Amino acid sequence: MNAPKQIRAALGAVLMCFALFAAAQGDLEINTPAIAAIKQSMQARHAQLGPLFASGAIGLSRDGNVAVRDASGVPLAQRAQVNALISSENADRAALYREIARANGRPDWESDVRATFAQRWIDRAPAGWWVQRNGGWSQK
Amino acid sequence: MPVAWLPVLLGLFLTGAADAARLDIELGRIEHAAFTAENVRVTLNLVQATGTLSIARFSALGRVWADLRLHCSEFAVAAASIECGRGTLTLPGSRETLDVQFAYDPDAGTARAQVRSAAGELVRAGLASSGEFRAVLSDVAIGRFAEVMPQLAEWQAQGRLNAQIDYRPDPSARITASGRLHGGGFSSADGLQAAEGLGIEFDVRGMFREGGWDWGGRLAWGEGEAYLHPIYLAAGPVLEAEGRLQGDRLTLGNAKLALEGVDAIEARGDFELDPLRVRRAAISVGGADLGRIGPDFIAPVLAPARAATLRFAGTVGGAAAFVEDRLVGLDLSFDDAAVAMDDVDVGFGPLNGRLPWRADSPTDIDIAVGGGHWQQLTLGAFALAARVEGLSIEVPRLAVPVLDGRLILGDLALRRIAAGWTGRGNATIEPVSMALLAEAVGLPPMSGVLSASLPGLRVDPGELALDGTLVVSVFDGYLRATNLRWLEPFGVASHLFVDVEARSLDLTQLTDAFAFGSITGRLDADVRGLELARWRPVRFAAELRSSPGRYPRRISQRAVQNIGALGGPGAAMAIQRGFLGFFETFGYSEIGLSCVLRDGVCAMDGIPGARPGTPGDGFVIVRGGGIPALNVIGYNRRVDWDELLERLQRVIATNVPPVIE
Repeated sequence: MNAPKQIRAALGAVLMCFALFAAAQGDLEINTPAIAAIKQSMQARHAQLGPLFASGAIGLSRDGNVAVRDASGVPLAQRAQVNALISSENADRAALYREIARANGRPDWESDVRATFAQRWIDRAPAGWWVQRNGGWSQK
Repeated sequence: MPVAWLPVLLGLFLTGAADAARLDIELGRIEHAAFTAENVRVTLNLVQATGTLSIARFSALGRVWADLRLHCSEFAVAAASIECGRGTLTLPGSRETLDVQFAYDPDAGTARAQVRSAAGELVRAGLASSGEFRAVLSDVAIGRFAEVMPQLAEWQAQGRLNAQIDYRPDPSARITASGRLHGGGFSSADGLQAAEGLGIEFDVRGMFREGGWDWGGRLAWGEGEAYLHPIYLAAGPVLEAEGRLQGDRLTLGNAKLALEGVDAIEARGDFELDPLRVRRAAISVGGADLGRIGPDFIAPVLAPARAATLRFAGTVGGAAAFVEDRLVGLDLSFDDAAVAMDDVDVGFGPLNGRLPWRADSPTDIDIAVGGGHWQQLTLGAFALAARVEGLSIEVPRLAVPVLDGRLILGDLALRRIAAGWTGRGNATIEPVSMALLAEAVGLPPMSGVLSASLPGLRVDPGELALDGTLVVSVFDGYLRATNLRWLEPFGVASHLFVDVEARSLDLTQLTDAFAFGSITGRLDADVRGLELARWRPVRFAAELRSSPGRYPRRISQRAVQNIGALGGPGAAMAIQRGFLGFFETFGYSEIGLSCVLRDGVCAMDGIPGARPGTPGDGFVIVRGGGIPALNVIGYNRRVDWDELLERLQRVIATNVPPVIE
C-alpha cells in the first residue's frame, strides 16, 4: 500500500473508530459539540501525523496515545515539532476520552473509554503502522 | 604511577639445522601501565629479513584482544632493537588489515610505531625511555574505540578524531589530550537522543593521585546540531569542567557552560558511573534571557503542545539541587519576566520575585505581577503569595484588578496529579462597571455592574466548576449566572456550561444599546444549559417573555421589522401591515419567544398558549394590546442558528430605518 492510500485508510480508521466505539457501547453519546471539535482538530492534525505513522517514526501506544517509536528518519531540527505534534494529539485524545465519559454522565468511565479506544485504534490501524502491544512495538 | 617495561625472555632457541634460516623468539609477557601483552612471539626469516609478531592475548583499557598477528616485510633485529617495516597487522575476526611500522628497543625502553588504515586513518605513537608516551591520531574513526567503549556502538557513534595524547609517568601519572572531533554524531535506538555533523574541539587533562584521577577540560561545540528529547540544540555551547574520577565515582568539582542567552550556568556534583546515578548535584543558572531560552528550553519541556504559541520575555535565574537521582530543591527568581499564550490570548507580566520549592518542606512564593490580559480584558498589578509543598500549592488570597473591580480568589488549594491539577477554592468578583467592561470587549455602551460570589470553585483535570452566582446588574434589571462549568479550558474543545436567568431588563435600554429599534417594556429570560464552545452558543433552551407587572409596553416599527427580518424570507412574520404604515409605535400586551438550540438549529416557539388565529403553524411572538396594536407571528419554527446570528448582526450593523410597504 502506498503512502497516500495509507493516509486515506488511516483517516477512514479514525472516523470508523468513533462509529465502532459507539456501536460497541450501544447508545453511547459521542455526538456533542465538544467531541465534534476534538474530532475536527484530530482530523486536521492527521495530515501531519499520517506520514509519520506510515514511516514508523511514531506509533499507537497501548494507553490510547501516540508515541515516538523511531524518530531517526525525522530531521533533527523537526523532532521537537514532532514531539509538539504528539503532545497536542495526546492532549486532544485525553480530552476526547474525558468528554465521551462526561457526555454520558459517567466521568468515572474515562479510563474504560481510554482502554477501549486504545484497543480500537490498534485493531483498526492500517497495515504498515506500528502499534504497541504487551510485547512492545510491532508492525501491522 | 611507575612505568616499567618487563619483557621476560622465556625462551630463545634455534630450530633444527634444516630450519636454520628461521629464528623464533619468545618474549613471553610484556607489561606496561597502559597495556599487557601475553605469549608474545617473534618469528624471523633471516634470509628474507621478514618477521612475524604474534600476541596471544593483548589487554588495554579494560578490553582484551586475542590472537593478534603482525607480519613485517622488513624486519631487523639489531643488538638492542627490533624494527618492523612495511608491516601488516591482521585483527582477529576482521578482514581489515592495517599497515604498521614500529621500532622497539627493550634495553632503552623506547619504542615508536605508526599504524595506517586503508581509509587513511593514521596513528603515530612513541614511547620514551622515561616512560613518556605520545600518540597522534589523524582522522581516526571513533568507531575504532567501540572495542574499549561498547557504548559507542550502542549509540551508533560516528565521526573522525584528530588528537594528540600525551602520557607522562613521573612524578605523577599525567594524561593530556587535545584535538577535534569532526563529522560526529550519535543516535539512541528511538532517535530521541541524537546528534549530527558535530564538530567539537576538546582539551582535557588528568593527573593520577591517591588512587584516582584529578581531571579537567574544555569542550567547544562549534558545528552540528543535536536533539536531546525534547530539546533541539545547535552548535555554540562551550563546557569547561574539572573534577575527580576514583573507581566508579565521578566528582564534578566545577563545571561552567557558556550558552547563548544565558550569563552563567554552573554545576557541581557527585556521581556513580556504573550504573549511572546522581549522588548529589547542583546546577545554577544566572541571567537567562527568557526571550532566548524560553522557546528553546522551557516551552518544549513544560508545554510542548503549546510551544509554538508561548511567548517569553525578561530574565530568569535559578538553582536546582538533586540527591539520589531526585530533584530536592529548586529556586527561581524572575526579573521583569513575562509569559503569554497566543492561542488563548492570555498573558502576564512583568513578573518579579522568587519561586522556591523543596521536595520535603513547604516554601513561600512571593511574586509581584505587573499586570496581564485575557483576550481584550486588561488586568491590573497584583501580588501572588502562595505556599508550596511538594506538588501542592495554597493561595490564601489573590486579588486581580479587572477594570474598576477585582477578581478575588480565596483559599485556593491545588494539587498536581498525573492527569493535571485538582483542588478547591472560592472566587469573588468585586463590582466591575459594565460601561468599562462593554467598552473593553467591544460591546455597545451599557450601564450597570458585574459582580460574583462563587463560594465553590472546583478544579479538576480538564474542568473548572464554579458553584455560586455571578450577577450582572444591567439594563436596570439583572442577569444571574449559575452552575458555571468550564470544560477543557485550554483545549480545542474549550466549552462553558451555564444557566442564565435575566429579570426585569429594561427593553428600552437593551434595544437602544444594540440598535435594534425601540421596545418599551421589561423582559425576563431563562437560558438553561447554555453551552458555549469557544464563546459561541452551541446548545441551550432559552425562553424570553415580558416581565410581570404594570409598565408601558410599546414597540417601534423598526423593532417589528427587525423581528420579522430575523425570520428570513421563508419565515416572514404575519404583521398587520396595514397598521404598520400609519404609526411609529404600537402597543403590545406580551412578548414571548423561545429557542431550543441543538445541532445548529434553533427550534422556535412563541408566547406559551397563544394562538395566532391565522392558518398554518404560526406562533405568536408579540401579542398586540392597546391602540394601535399589532401581533407579530412567526411561522418558521426551525431556524439555522448561524444564519439567524448573521441576520441579527446584519440588522444591527445596517441600522437603517425599515421600509414599510
